[in-house]
Amino acid sequence: MTNARPARLVTAVIAMTVISISIASAQPGAYEPPRLRDGKPDLQGIWQVRNTANWDLEHHAGSYGIPAGLGVVIDPADGAIPYQPWAAERQQQNFNERETEDPVAKCYIAGVPRTMYVPHPLQIFQTPAEVVILSEYVHTTRWIPLTTLPRYEGYESWIGDSRGRWDGDTLVIETVGFNGQTWLDHSGNFHSSALRVVERLTRTEPDVISYEATLEDPNVFTRPWTIRMPLYLHRDRDRLLENECYLYAEDAGRPIIGQHPEP
Amino acid sequence: MGSIPSHSLRALVATCLVAPVPSHAQEVVDPAACPFESSPFHVCALERAKTFDPPRTADGVPDFQGYWRGQSNGAAYDFEPSPGGFAVPASTGVVVDPSDKRIPYQPEALARRNELRTQGFLDPQAHCAPSGAPRKNFTNFGWRIVQPDGYVLFVYESMHDYRIIPTDGRSHLPEAIKLWHPDAVGRWEGDTLVVDYANMNGRNWLDMSGNFQSEHSRVVERYTMIDANTIHFEATVEDPTLYTRPWTLAIAFTRNTEANFYQLEYACHEGERDLQHIGAAAP
Repeated sequence: MTNARPARLVTAVIAMTVISISIASAQPGAYEPPRLRDGKPDLQGIWQVRNTANWDLEHHAGSYGIPAGLGVVIDPADGAIPYQPWAAERQQQNFNERETEDPVAKCYIAGVPRTMYVPHPLQIFQTPAEVVILSEYVHTTRWIPLTTLPRYEGYESWIGDSRGRWDGDTLVIETVGFNGQTWLDHSGNFHSSALRVVERLTRTEPDVISYEATLEDPNVFTRPWTIRMPLYLHRDRDRLLENECYLYAEDAGRPIIGQHPEP
Repeated sequence: MGSIPSHSLRALVATCLVAPVPSHAQEVVDPAACPFESSPFHVCALERAKTFDPPRTADGVPDFQGYWRGQSNGAAYDFEPSPGGFAVPASTGVVVDPSDKRIPYQPEALARRNELRTQGFLDPQAHCAPSGAPRKNFTNFGWRIVQPDGYVLFVYESMHDYRIIPTDGRSHLPEAIKLWHPDAVGRWEGDTLVVDYANMNGRNWLDMSGNFQSEHSRVVERYTMIDANTIHFEATVEDPTLYTRPWTLAIAFTRNTEANFYQLEYACHEGERDLQHIGAAAP
């Protein structure tokens, strides 16, 4: 797809060429997304998933606090996360302790990729130089420069350190610099600070962004693996509200303190 | 690879920057620039704004994009002039109207403020609550302004908080919705960004000294670039249940031009252990 980039400069000038090139470089009959002034696909709007990925990324029947759902792992083909043996045991332990130990149950930042599929709307903003993804969930901010801004060496955080680029009509976000304290879902699927996430966002229909994330973590998994799910455009709201989860917990008389929420 | 800035060092620097040490402040700025102390800054900046032609975005509005920091003269601790104290810098005050630099409280509200002042553990910010308006612009550390078409975004380092300001003429949310982040509706008046806030839940404080708002408060903020690296920030606060009249504050934002700078994450609630010491009563 990278060889489509020089062509795009030309196509910004000649609209008809845009259509023929993007059809030629993407799937036959591919959807032609709305575009910004700089010719990049317009991903802006308020989006949200409609799946159970927040509770379990793998195929799962229902269990306490977890709605049943189809998995979102598309690679490996069996839909199972390729854990190293010790990590599979750790995930089972996490699952058993999910009610108190899930970082999202403690109203912590959900990390990447989970921020993209917690059950709260998020809004995507774009300029030619950067992408900003803002979630209602505990006012989470993802800032994604579309440049090769040098990273701070050794920097770790809850949300990671992202850099973005366009691969044809797909926004690719590469994120490292995690602190290893977030989970991937409520079922205790997890990663270490060595996690590297490559996300791919493609607007495939007027109301759909195809969202894909490949996760690589040599400390935890036997090989890279990939999830894919649609993000749906909200047409019933024109702005984000807020979800101040830990303040609501205080209001409810159940303050979340340190690592151990009170019962 | 850049080297990671030490967060504690940055906190120290931030404290120094907000501390009202005029000689220090004057050392780091163009001598022709407006002074940072609020009252003279306000007068000087309004004059500069008349002639400065700001850079513009592709849709023709002033381009505020980049990293900024508030030169807030100790106001994170106290909006009113204050001598400071243990671990608290002095404040030269940021109220430019009334001219006595005091918030024009009604007697009962002033009594409440004086009571809150002794109960800093109730400060919502100590509970990692979003700081609301105008307080968010007085938090230590800086913020990034981003301008996608039709919006102005403030992406704050402090508590990974943000403001989304639409400039498309929409109206406020229904009154029944009360928020920690008040509903922001913006518009451009000439080269000034004007932001009107409503739907406040009334639980935010204005600073760490117990100055406070109610759910009846309305805030109008005005942002005007007065030179390439300075924004005049002004906010008028109105609340007939607390104050005898509307009052106005002003400070300078200065641009951070450090090469390859980007904001670190400031997670507040994650791993929070203060509540067990300061009490977990909802603020």
